[in-house]
Amino acid sequence: MNAIEAVGLGKRYYRRGGQRATTLLETLTGFGRARREEFWCLREANFAIPAGRTVGVIGPNGSGKSSLLGLAAGTITPTEGHVRTQGRISSLLELGAGFHPELSGRENVYLNAALLGIPREDVKKKFDQIVDFADLREFIDMPVKHYSSGMYVRLGFSIAVEVDPDILLIDEVLAVGDIAFQLKCLDRIRQFQRRGKTILFVSHALQTVEEFCHEAFLIHGGRLVERGEPSEVILKYIRRYMGEGGGLFTQEFGTRAVEFGNVRLLNAAGEETGIFETGGALTIEIPYVAHRRIEKPVFGFSLKTGNGMYIYGSNTQIQQVAVPPLEGAGVVRLDFAPLRLMHGNYFLSLSIHSWDHAEQFHRREDWWPFGVRNTGEDLGLFKLDARWHCP
Amino acid sequence: MKLLPTIWNRRELLWNLAVRELKQRYRGSVLGFLWTLLTPLFMAVIYLFFLRLLAGRGVPMEEIIIGVFAWQFTVQCTQAGTTCVLGSANLVKKVAFPLEILPLSQVLANTISYLLSLVVQFPLLMFLLSRSNQHLAMTWPIFFLWVAWQTLFNLGLTSFVGALNVFYRDTQHLVGLALSAWFFLSPVMYNMEFALNLAAQWPLAADLLYANPMTVILNGYRAALLPESAAAYPPAAWIGLLLVPVMFILGVVVYRRRQHLFADML
Repeated sequence: MNAIEAVGLGKRYYRRGGQRATTLLETLTGFGRARREEFWCLREANFAIPAGRTVGVIGPNGSGKSSLLGLAAGTITPTEGHVRTQGRISSLLELGAGFHPELSGRENVYLNAALLGIPREDVKKKFDQIVDFADLREFIDMPVKHYSSGMYVRLGFSIAVEVDPDILLIDEVLAVGDIAFQLKCLDRIRQFQRRGKTILFVSHALQTVEEFCHEAFLIHGGRLVERGEPSEVILKYIRRYMGEGGGLFTQEFGTRAVEFGNVRLLNAAGEETGIFETGGALTIEIPYVAHRRIEKPVFGFSLKTGNGMYIYGSNTQIQQVAVPPLEGAGVVRLDFAPLRLMHGNYFLSLSIHSWDHAEQFHRREDWWPFGVRNTGEDLGLFKLDARWHCP
Repeated sequence: MKLLPTIWNRRELLWNLAVRELKQRYRGSVLGFLWTLLTPLFMAVIYLFFLRLLAGRGVPMEEIIIGVFAWQFTVQCTQAGTTCVLGSANLVKKVAFPLEILPLSQVLANTISYLLSLVVQFPLLMFLLSRSNQHLAMTWPIFFLWVAWQTLFNLGLTSFVGALNVFYRDTQHLVGLALSAWFFLSPVMYNMEFALNLAAQWPLAADLLYANPMTVILNGYRAALLPESAAAYPPAAWIGLLLVPVMFILGVVVYRRRQHLFADML
């Protein structure tokens, strides 16, 4: 049975004039109409999500992810095609969307639940759970206008998940509250999965999508361009739209007295690839061209996860590697063997600067994305040298 | 989607939103609900005073009180109507629910408020009548039929301006102007006797006055409660009477035809 089914789904908006509220005068005179220009924020989306699946929707900003969620939730009416959902939907498109600032937390719980279509009796039974999950017992009778933003979203999240929906729609809201609450949220999401609920969730946190989802949708320019195994879709996404040539999230600095050439990522066999194996080898081949003689240059690198978490960084100065003066073209190699990174997607940054850090010659930030696959059964982000000693 | 079953299924939401509306209206004010009574009473005194001063001719206090309370009911619904969708932009865009609930909850809140104000209005009328040894007319239960009729009218009006204001923000300004003009064209601070005296030379003016739905409703209220007041039904009054369901259907149909575009416009 499919929980969510979309056929030829499309949504058209008008840029300028058309969609914003016009004045009566504009309509009567026809003035302003000519400027309207249509654009499709989503078009020809066809998919079926079977009940019990968790699907992550990824893609650049403005690609149509949130529109897809809005269409599934029913807040946006499709221009063409249709979307069908089976079961009760709880949407976390915006936490605490229905909250009224003057009302107390308690009153807002009932109001919000009524918006989600939950009978008052059910809310009464779950009221304590909701308040405990949000950890707001002392503040529940206070008007929510006095809540901190963290308290606000905690209560919103708590209501949305405690009302026991069949389908949960989440729009980039898992990163709310403090770390403790975030962990509680993720834990609750796992519980939902175990109980066979369907989750459709939009996120830029690629690592989270990879970790939680059975399937990933890649949306770009309003089209569902890729779907399948999360790690593969994510890799396609970061290789196609981020990193070298993709122009998303990458940054480049420097005086260019020395410039990087065509950097290649090689595996143990010396082949250029985008996917490496945990415990295998990763060699980065860094060709450079120096436009003047550089004494005592420093080469550096850093690695980040798909979520942007900084994992490791070092340079030839810290590692006390003697680099000969640069003159003309040459190649530097950086080896990771064995590669200790675990399953996931990563970004490599490289830089060349002067010994005293006074001059940045060339720096490419988050320029080279790559994936790592772990064939073992151990889990986590980083492979540690763990040894057991038994009697 | 059938309208009535949908609304019935979401009656808890309807009730919650109406209660929210009433709570927020009075929260933080010392006199709270008393304002619902004080405002029309104060207005009634002002109208009475100025009408005597300017026209030199009086209208019974009882008639003005009935008129002002009932007029306030329509004004509050209409004004709430202009903001009922716009003011809930966040809800409309982020939560899926039958949008008909928005104007309906506003009208429900104002109906409750109106009915509660009757608790003061009725004793007050009885007191005023008792000074001339009169009592409330035996037909007073008919008053509530007129409340139902006015509620229907208000619901149409509220839905209509609510939907229109999403597309044309001019609506809220026009509504303000229209309400001021409409106030003087309806027998709120005067009664029919007063108006027909003035309009004696222009029969068309009398017809136009009767064709105003508010005229028919206010006359109905007064005839139901006051022993010395009787409502006349010349042909034009039937137009006014029938404009009530026309407004209701027009408002609800326009709103429902356009509600799928609300989220895009906000």
